[in-house]
Formats: sequence, C-alpha cells, structure tokens
Amino acid sequence: MNSLRTFWSIRKRVRQRATRFSLLVVVLLFGLFLEAYMHNFNLVYITLFFVFAAAFAAGPLGVRNLGYLEAEFAGCDRLFARREGACRYQVHNPTALSAWGVELHSALGDTPLPELPPHVRTRAVLPLTPSKRGPLDAGPCTLQSLFPLATVRFVLPIAEGCPLIVYPEPRGEPLRSYLMRQRAPFGDEMDFDGLARYSGAESASRIHWPSVAKGEAAVKTFEHENTDDTLRFEFHRCGNDDEARLSQLTLWVTECEPLRQPFSIVMPHKTLHYPQENIDAILDYLARY
Amino acid sequence: MRFSTILRGIDRQPPQRQQFLLDLAYLAVLPPLLLMLKAPMLLFLGMMLLLLILRKRATALTQLFVALAGAAAIFLSLYGAFNFAGLSRLKLFVELMAYLLLLAVSLQRLTRRINIYLVVSPALLLALSLFFFDSVAMLAYVVVEIFVLLWLILIYRMRADALTGLRMAGMLFALSLPWVVLLFLFFPRISFEHASYGFRGDEIRRTGHDGSMRMDGGALLVPSDRIVMEVGFQNAIPNDAKLYFRGSVLYLDRKDHWEPLPPWVKRRVAPEQNAQKGMYETAGDLTAYKVSLYPTYKKWLYLLDLPYEAPTGATIDADFETTLDKPVEEPQHYDAGSALTYRYGKNTEPTILAIARDYNASANPQTLQAAQKIEAAYPDPGKRLAALYAFFRDDNLTYTLRPDPLDLNRSTDSFLFDKRKGYCVHFAGSFVNMARMAGLPARVVTGYKADRTNSVNNYLAVKERDAHAWAEVYLTNHWQRVETTATAAHLDEASAALLRPGQTLEDNSERLTRLNLYLLYVKYQAETWILQYSHFRQMQLLDKVKKNPEFAAKFAAALLGLILLSVALALYLRRPRCTDKTLCLLRPVLKKLQKAGYVRQEGETLHRFFARYLDAYPQSTLAEIDRRFHRLRYADREPETQALKEAIRAFMHKKGTKIGPSD
Repeated sequence: MNSLRTFWSIRKRVRQRATRFSLLVVVLLFGLFLEAYMHNFNLVYITLFFVFAAAFAAGPLGVRNLGYLEAEFAGCDRLFARREGACRYQVHNPTALSAWGVELHSALGDTPLPELPPHVRTRAVLPLTPSKRGPLDAGPCTLQSLFPLATVRFVLPIAEGCPLIVYPEPRGEPLRSYLMRQRAPFGDEMDFDGLARYSGAESASRIHWPSVAKGEAAVKTFEHENTDDTLRFEFHRCGNDDEARLSQLTLWVTECEPLRQPFSIVMPHKTLHYPQENIDAILDYLARY
Repeated sequence: MRFSTILRGIDRQPPQRQQFLLDLAYLAVLPPLLLMLKAPMLLFLGMMLLLLILRKRATALTQLFVALAGAAAIFLSLYGAFNFAGLSRLKLFVELMAYLLLLAVSLQRLTRRINIYLVVSPALLLALSLFFFDSVAMLAYVVVEIFVLLWLILIYRMRADALTGLRMAGMLFALSLPWVVLLFLFFPRISFEHASYGFRGDEIRRTGHDGSMRMDGGALLVPSDRIVMEVGFQNAIPNDAKLYFRGSVLYLDRKDHWEPLPPWVKRRVAPEQNAQKGMYETAGDLTAYKVSLYPTYKKWLYLLDLPYEAPTGATIDADFETTLDKPVEEPQHYDAGSALTYRYGKNTEPTILAIARDYNASANPQTLQAAQKIEAAYPDPGKRLAALYAFFRDDNLTYTLRPDPLDLNRSTDSFLFDKRKGYCVHFAGSFVNMARMAGLPARVVTGYKADRTNSVNNYLAVKERDAHAWAEVYLTNHWQRVETTATAAHLDEASAALLRPGQTLEDNSERLTRLNLYLLYVKYQAETWILQYSHFRQMQLLDKVKKNPEFAAKFAAALLGLILLSVALALYLRRPRCTDKTLCLLRPVLKKLQKAGYVRQEGETLHRFFARYLDAYPQSTLAEIDRRFHRLRYADREPETQALKEAIRAFMHKKGTKIGPSD
C-alpha cells in the first residue's frame, strides 16, 4: 500500500507527453486490429495485444525510472555570448535501482546522462552556447526520459526558471597588442631626460642596454614618468560600435584577470575599477549595458 | 565495428549503433517473409546483402541500379498473377506491399541514413508477415520476434549493454503478459470468417488415404509418422476397437484398384450434415471431439465410425462417408460427433446390394471354388461369414508391408493361394471378393485405424502409418464391420520392426517417442486454444464461467496466479545486477540491518557502517563478517569466501531475537 502511495506521489511529480512514436503505435494498433478483424487471425490479435500491453506497461516503468530522481542546480561557468559554456547540476538517485536513458534538458540545450546507479550522486553538465549577451532565462530545467519505449516522454521539472547572465563575446584586439600600441610603461620618447647610474634596484626594463654594451651600467630617466600602472580603457575608443566595444572590453577584462593587472574602464556614465570592483561585477555591468 | 564493442553500450558511436540495432531488428522480422518470397525477390535481397557487406556507396547510379533491379524482381515475382483480377485478391495485394516495402527499405538502407520510415518498417514487415502464416511455429516465432524487438528498443533507449537490455525486456514482457492473456480471452471477437489463404507452413500434402485402394505392390509402402490429423476428445479416448476413422467406401473391383460407386448410382438418402434416421437402427454412446485435419487435397473428412454429426459445410452420405464440396487444401479444424455403439439401418437399396454382390467369376477360380464350397456348407449367412473368416485365418497368411507383387489379373487367387503375403488392402480386397463369391454382399472401407499409443490424456494423433482398409459385409439386413487384417497368422520381422511406434534407425528410444507425442499434444492444445480461439469458444468459456462456480473459481485463481507469477518474474529481473561477487554476498546482511533501522549513509564505508552497529551491539557476529569481509577484500592472502559465507549464514540464521545483542 505504501509502495502504491509513493508511486502515486511520484506519478504526480512526473509529467508525461506523447511522442510521435505513440502516434505510430496507435496507427500500428489500428492496422493490426483491421487485419485481425477482417481475418480473425489470432496471431494478429496476439501481436496487437502485445503491442498494446507493452505500451501500457511501459508507463509505470517510465514513471518509476525518473520519478525518484532528485536534482539541484550547482552553478554555471561564466557564460559568454556565442561561446560554449556549461551549467552544472547535481543529480541524485536515492533508490535501489538504476535510472536509464535520462537527459538533462533546458531551453538552451540538453545532454544525455549515463546510467544513474542506485544511491549515487552524479554531476551532470549541461553545455550552453548563448547567442546574445545580457540576462538569460534558460527556462524550466528538467530531467527527461524516453525510457522504455519512447512512446511517452517523461519529464521531471528540477528548476522552474534559471536566471543567468551572459557576458559579451570576448573578441577584438588582444591586450598585449593593445599595450604595444600604447605609451611605454614609464614615459614617452619625447620625455627622455637622460641616463643615470644603475643602482641595482631599478627594474630591468629601465636598463639602457647600449650603455651596458659599452661596459657602463646605466638606466634611463624621463622628465615625466607614469607613476600609476593601472591600465585605462575608454569605452568610446574601443571600437566602432557598442557591441564591438563591449566585446573588446570583455576580452581585456578577462585577460587582465589572470595577470591581476589593475585597470579602469571609462564607460559613458560610470568608471569601473579593478580590483576595487569584482571582475564578475564589471562583466555583469558590461553584459547589461 | 565489432559486435562486442557495439553491444557494450554507452561508449559507442550512436549512428553506427543505431544502424546495427536496426539491422538486427530486420534480421529478426525477415525470416518468415523469406519463406514466402519468390526466387527473383530472394535474389534481389541477396544482392542487397552483398552490396551492404561490400559497403557500396549509395551513388545515384547505384541507387538507380538497385531500384531497377528491385522493380524487375517484383515484376518477375508476380509475373502471371499480375492482372487486374489478381490485384483484387488481398493476398496478392499484401504480397505486393511486402515487396514494395522491402525495395524501399533496401534503397534507404543503402544510403546509411536512418529515417523514421526505416525505424518503423520492421513493425510493418512483422504485420505483413502475419498475413501469410497461421501455425504454432509462427505463433512461437511471433512471440520471440516481439521480445527481440522490445529488447533492441530497450538497448537503444537505455543506452545500455545487451544483458541489461535483456533483463529489462524480460521485465516489460512479464508485465505485459497478464494483459495479453486477459485481452486474448475477453476481447470481443466479432469478425469475418477466417481468411482462406496463407498457412504456408502447413501446406504439406498428407497422404495415407486417397479415396481409392490400390492393390499393386509396385510402390513400397513405408509407414510414415507424419501426422494426418489430431483429435481432441471431449471425454476419454474410446478403446482401440472403436478407433476406426471412416474415409471412403469402395464397391468396384478394377483388378489393380478398388473404386467407389459410380456417380450415376442414385441413393435413396441425400447427404446431410447429420446422419439421418433410417441410415442407422441404433446409435448410442455418442462422443464429441475436435479434429485438426491437415491438407489432404481430397474431399474426405475422417469421422469416427459411426459418423453422427458432420462439421458445418460437410455432409454424411448413405454410406456414412463424410465429405466436403472442395478438397481439403488448408488445415481443417472441426467439431464432430459419432456414435460408438451402433447398428446400421436396413434400407440399403437393392441396386447397391447388387453392386456389392458383383464379382468377376473368371478372374479368381480358386477363390470362387473355395467360396462356393463354404456357401454350400453354410447356408446360414452368419455361419458362412464365420467360415470365411476361419478360412482366411487358417490360410497361413502373413502380414507384411513389403509383399511380393500379386498377379493383378487374379489378385485374390494370387494373394490367398500363391503369395499369401500382403497388408490391409490385400486382406480387405480379397475378403470382400470371396464374401461376394460366397453370396454375401460386401464392400471395402478405407480410412484410419488410430493407435491409442499415440495419445496423451484425451489427445490422439493419427499418423499416415494408421491408414487402413477393412471390409463390411451385409448380414441380416445390416452392414457389419469385419477386421480382415486380424486374420493374418504371421507378421514378418521387417514389418514388425517398421510398425513398432517410433522404431527407426535414427530414433529407437521410447522416451523420445513419448516426448515427441507430448510436444504434439502441446502443439495441438496451442492450436485449439490459441490459434483456433473464436467468438464461439469465447462465448462457451464465458458461459461456463457463469454457470459453473467451481470452474469460475479455478479460472479466476489461474488468472490471479498468472498475474502474481508475472509480477514475481518482473521483480526478480528488476533486481540490480551484481557485479562485485563479494559485495553481493553482503546484500542480505545489509537488508537485515536496514530492517533493524541501520541504513548505510552516503559515503560511509562498510567498516564504519558495521562499526556503528557494533558500537550498539558489541557482541554481534557482525564483527566476524566485518573482519572476514575486509580480509577477503584487502588482505594479500588466499580467498576466504567460504568462511565469509559461513559468518553471514550465522548472522542471518541466528536464533532468538531477530536482531540485537545476539543478532
């Protein structure tokens, strides 16, 4: 009795949708019925009854296969427009039986899961390739299964909605190339003041190598020197249109992050600073711009 | 791709795997169709197979070639039958459908692209093959076929290996079975008549009795174990002396053979479905039975002497011959009734009696002389018949299946005075001739004399070897059967060996013969209760259920038993597969602990789990299991599986409290 009650409760959790194969089964049943009706072939009747009974018995098996599963959202990678990313789900099979033919499904894509053994938690990865930047609702995320006969699609909702943010596609001129085009790190050529004696504490990039070649250790000095090593990116100078600018800034932001390179982005109404602001917050701003 | 790689499951290339599984599905459904395909179509399929094995690419030219070859094969296969009148026949239409479907499947398969039509076609081929066969073998094959298709679908859908798919298919099959049985029994059977085509599997000509009786010994008579008909008696099988299945009645001696009455002879009683009053004087001990008669290509139906009620469409004539209008070209399944104790009626026409007295006086002078002596010595017809019988018995006749050829110009003399060897036809023919010469009207009756050794319960198999001929003599205004073969004084050894049931060079085992008989019995029951199950039988069953509470209870219990059995089988197959033998040994222990409220937590090692229990019950024998299990698992020693099993047994069967300090 308990089993029936439990089954009824999971039956309510699992939605069932007829597939095109169910239509084929109906057509097959009708054809077999006509064949059997016209000729009273018990062989045909038996085939007809087997098809019907198998389709009928498949229902509870499908519900049982999917109904007990539990799943929860375990976060996504940073998602960039037109780049493949992934969201992760923790799928738990708390029963003593394996679950078969399960797929993790969302509006953005689906992924087949291998056999889910009994009493095992599995991390399922849902690959996503968003097409546009900005807020994205991946729609209801479900576990789905066509097991056992594909006549019914069993659907187990695991998240009604999944609000995600998609960052602009990181695209444009690489940071290194940009820096090469920019001012030297210490001062411009016009600001060159002269040579000074190498004290041993200066950075190697200040060493004046021609003097070293002559046997004299000297370093370059400048009339005006950049005391701040924070990079400055200006939105309006980054590209021809907003999307190109946002893509360029996203690329530089993602390249600065592993270098721990401080930067500031001058946006039309706001200036973003790293590391004062979190990289994700900056990308979020760019995504929603 | 290797078979094992594909069946291994998840680590596969999906399109190839799908194609492989689909090919297996086609292999499962094609065999019955191959039996009905004509040679050109078979050649075409052989060519397709070759192309697929050679991995021929589906270029436009190849496809055109295949399409033309297929069209030619279809044309040649249906050549002769292909006309407008022919197309109206459903069988031809279905055959054409099957051919077209096979051509379409071949073309699509050549492209190696799987589409919905290719996926659905095995089911269509299965449905089409059902048009052509209706036999127990096909029934068994269809059930296997459905199981295999379910299995393949499940392997694909589960993305699992073959064995796991097999278990799941078994489970689904077991769950389907009660529904199939219930639907089969109770689904309304309102339908047209049984189709009059198909049954290719049963189209084997059965011989033994062919309506006439040849006297020449040119053909070697080899007793065959081929089943001519199967009889299911409603009650017990009658004794051996009553198992005469009547076929044709022969009056005219044509030297080398005997013939029935010529068509111009008019009978007083017209053939009817039931034996009419006047044809018999008394008819008692009525018995009802079902007969499955295989194609004989003759018009006779064989009913037990004395036929009382013929099946629908058949008639019983004045000589109790039961015939159909058309020859039996398909298996006939009919119900019939006979009277086991009877006396023929008195109203045999004088014309018939005149024919039954007729003989050629010059053909067999020795027999005539002997007959006249007997006639003179015994004026009483009864005593005369006894004297004739005694003459045969004293003539030192030998029953042999390999007699020397008789002189057909004087066949009776040749048999009774020269050769003295023959089988039933020689005995019957000679007896009838001699009886006529002695002034007694006589006729030959041919049919089958069944043997009760070929029976199980109320089932009786009648074989070709049971074909028989006997005489009927008109005595005191009634026809009376005379078993003429019983007058044989000897039975030659070769014939005795051949007549011993199942005694052949290949098979001399009594047990095998019996087993074969049981298989025939099962086949017959399957045919009767499954293939021949009809609206009438359904009503009979329901009526019996309504009227007979005991039967209803048994019937309900049987259905309930079937449901329980199916569920038990499904549950058995549902169990998780055991991949680690040592861990599987612990299954009952874990189950027992779970019942006691100790559930292994996720990530908890077995040792910790056992320790948790042992903390509460330190004296438990679980400690021994824990120790032995971990030693077996991790210690570098000889395996101690037996010791672990004993520890588990001790834990499981510990008497006293179910679980606790002493378990």
